[in-house]
Amino acid sequence: MFSKCHLSSLRFVSALALGLLFVTVSTSQVSAQNYSKTFSVSPESCGLEVINQTGSIKVVGTGANTGKIIINARKLDGDAQVNATQTPQGKVKVEVTGRGTVDFEINVPPTVNLDLFTYKGTIVVANLTGSIRARITTDGNIQFASLRSPKVEAHSSSGNIVFSGEALPDGEYVLKSFSGSVEVAFPANSDFKLSASSPSGVMDLGGFPLKFNRQTNQLVEAACGAGRAKVNLWTQEGSIHLRRKP
Amino acid sequence: MECRVVVSSLSDYIDGRDMWLSVSEVREIETHLGTCSNCRSVKLDLTEIRTAARELPLHTPQRALWTRVANIIETELPKSERRTRLEMPELGWWERFKSRKFTISLPQLVGAGALAMALIAFGTSNIPTGTPGRNYITGGQMALLPEEDQIKADLERRLAAINARKVKWDPQIRNDFDKHLGKIEESLKDSRQKLLTNPGDMVQRQMVLTLYNEKRQLLDDVERLKW
Repeated sequence: MFSKCHLSSLRFVSALALGLLFVTVSTSQVSAQNYSKTFSVSPESCGLEVINQTGSIKVVGTGANTGKIIINARKLDGDAQVNATQTPQGKVKVEVTGRGTVDFEINVPPTVNLDLFTYKGTIVVANLTGSIRARITTDGNIQFASLRSPKVEAHSSSGNIVFSGEALPDGEYVLKSFSGSVEVAFPANSDFKLSASSPSGVMDLGGFPLKFNRQTNQLVEAACGAGRAKVNLWTQEGSIHLRRKP
Repeated sequence: MECRVVVSSLSDYIDGRDMWLSVSEVREIETHLGTCSNCRSVKLDLTEIRTAARELPLHTPQRALWTRVANIIETELPKSERRTRLEMPELGWWERFKSRKFTISLPQLVGAGALAMALIAFGTSNIPTGTPGRNYITGGQMALLPEEDQIKADLERRLAAINARKVKWDPQIRNDFDKHLGKIEESLKDSRQKLLTNPGDMVQRQMVLTLYNEKRQLLDDVERLKW
């Protein structure tokens, strides 16, 4: 019959098998909720489009300029599916189908041109020099940090928009929120033409040396310096704050 | 004097015996009228006719009537006696207008009054209210901007297609969409009302266009998601 030594060995092997089985199952479950994919792109001309349904999108320009777009997505609920493809021209498109909440964290070359869209959720973009279009259909805040982009267009229906970056010469910056606030921080020596409209809120123009062309309770058209960059700020129900960065 | 002669002379006798008849003729007629009841009856009739005729309103004949009469006279005269056609003295339009006699019956007066009231009512209904500015009448609601008709038609068409699909959406998503659409439309209604009271307000015009664009963007987003 079996000796004590044989029984101990048998118990050990069984425990090891069970442990391996557990790890395997757990690993596969984590894989089902996370999504990762990497694309090689040309840093001089690369584009990224993200279409999300509900969930956040965070895009950060990597200082190393690696020539890669690294997509990490985390599905929080539902049965949403993430599909990422690349066109022959090199543009990367990420699209969520089905129903569910997916949060994205994407690392990109700083020069990438972005087109970000989510029906509901937040958008964060940092450290980029390419053009940016960010849109939230319903609720969610949009935050821009350390931008040196020539063109930024942002819209949220029910969220705040916060912009910190530079107003480049001949740049265009359109920031709109239906019921949230719009906050913009430019360097003190910025040179821009401003059109700010807030029918229901207040407008704090932050001490820039503005030369007013038109000024009413609801609309301000003014220029700072030569007015080379164009800045268009609008909120139907919120307030506008413009401040100078030291 | 015979009755026949008296009757033929009665018209001259009544109109101006001293002008048309000699003294002896007048004496003979008056002697005959004293004894002849028939001739007295004729005189009485003629006198009443003359009196009634004097009470009738005067009518100025049309210019053409005199021309026709003159032509007839001329054709009836022998050639040797025809003279240059007599013409009515030339009257200006104002003199002709003043010399006309207008008669208006009561039904005609009532009809003219009703027509005047209808014209006044139609004219005042098209007078724009408020401060001057162009309004564009369309359907049941006045368009305040020249392109508003087209914008609204496009948005309504697209919204109808979305509403047909909306029943299949997640309830939370559907609620979010309806909530935001409602907020946009409420603001649009408010802005349009302000523009209606002051059509020349260019700032308000821009706000209305911005809100239409906001609505369009909302529909763009839903169509982009292919729900």
